[in-house]
Amino acid sequence: MKMLVANALLLLSAWAWAQDDFGPKTPAVQMAPAPVVTAVQGKSATVPLSFRVLSGYHINSNHPKSEFLIPTVLKVEATTDIVIGKTTYPDGQDMTFPFDPDEPLNVYTGDFKVEVLVRPLLSVQVGKYVVRGTLKYQACDNSACYPPKQLPISFDVKIAKAPPPPRKNPAQSPHSHS
Amino acid sequence: MKRSPLVPFFTALIVAVMLFAALRFAHNHRAQGPANGQLIGTQAPDFELQTLDGKTMKLSDFRGKAVLLNFWATWCEPCKVEIPWFVELQKQYGAQGFQIVGVAMDEDSNEEVAKFAQKMSINYPIVLGKESVEQSYGGVGVLPVTFFVDRDGKLIAREFGLQSRSVFVDHINQAMSQGQPVQAPK
Repeated sequence: MKMLVANALLLLSAWAWAQDDFGPKTPAVQMAPAPVVTAVQGKSATVPLSFRVLSGYHINSNHPKSEFLIPTVLKVEATTDIVIGKTTYPDGQDMTFPFDPDEPLNVYTGDFKVEVLVRPLLSVQVGKYVVRGTLKYQACDNSACYPPKQLPISFDVKIAKAPPPPRKNPAQSPHSHS
Repeated sequence: MKRSPLVPFFTALIVAVMLFAALRFAHNHRAQGPANGQLIGTQAPDFELQTLDGKTMKLSDFRGKAVLLNFWATWCEPCKVEIPWFVELQKQYGAQGFQIVGVAMDEDSNEEVAKFAQKMSINYPIVLGKESVEQSYGGVGVLPVTFFVDRDGKLIAREFGLQSRSVFVDHINQAMSQGQPVQAPK
């Protein structure tokens, strides 16, 4: 019991330190656990991925206003069983910041959602598949910017069996009922 | 003598507090970087970097001049705000033995940096930064970061993030007033 308490205290210390390390001093985007999306063999399904930009920071949207700014981009690794389709980004918000009140930037702050279209092949086996990728973003605060980062992401797709194709009715011959 | 059952608990508590304090201390010092209070007042680390036109430039080439060393990137909006000030300050103080050097920390090709420099009418040399140089200046975790070097090559100040123009002017005046200017050849 005593050892348990001692270990808990040590873990608590390390946790407190780690919280600070990845806290506001380290701008980061966090991803919420993605829901398991069920997709039927051969049919498309949309996977919603939720992200959060830490308070006090902003990241460029997928369509920043300047060609020199680094857009937020989700890259999903190709898989042999699931076709990765279109990625849909939310519209950014036009915001001005103290470093340049005259020039609005198109950014994401707080929570935002990116959607990925997936389509399992018709021949893929039923089961759960993990899809991986990265979210590339570049964050700034009110007076400085941080180098681009790549946040690893992953989500599960549960493949369900496609319903059997509708049976064709055989040509019927006339019956006589007596 | 029977030991109190609370002794191990308090020992663990003291160890945990000490560990926490040590980790915090180490963390704070790491977050501030080795440059904090260690680089300032010492010789600015010399470097040899490529300019946008492919030439090699050393910081020590400017010995005798006050130097403003600005780490920046094309994707950094606060950096973009400072650049027009630097263009003006180079014009204003250049003749008095002052030189601005921009260190571009872009990962992309130097064509992007050159395009940006042209767009912003930058009138001072831009060199393409390397991680080794960044590390020698204490690890530049945020941009912009600006260092001020006096005429003897000593680092006299450092500013993180966007500052007001007057902060730059104060540091420039201080850098120009310290150290020996290079004598013009007779």
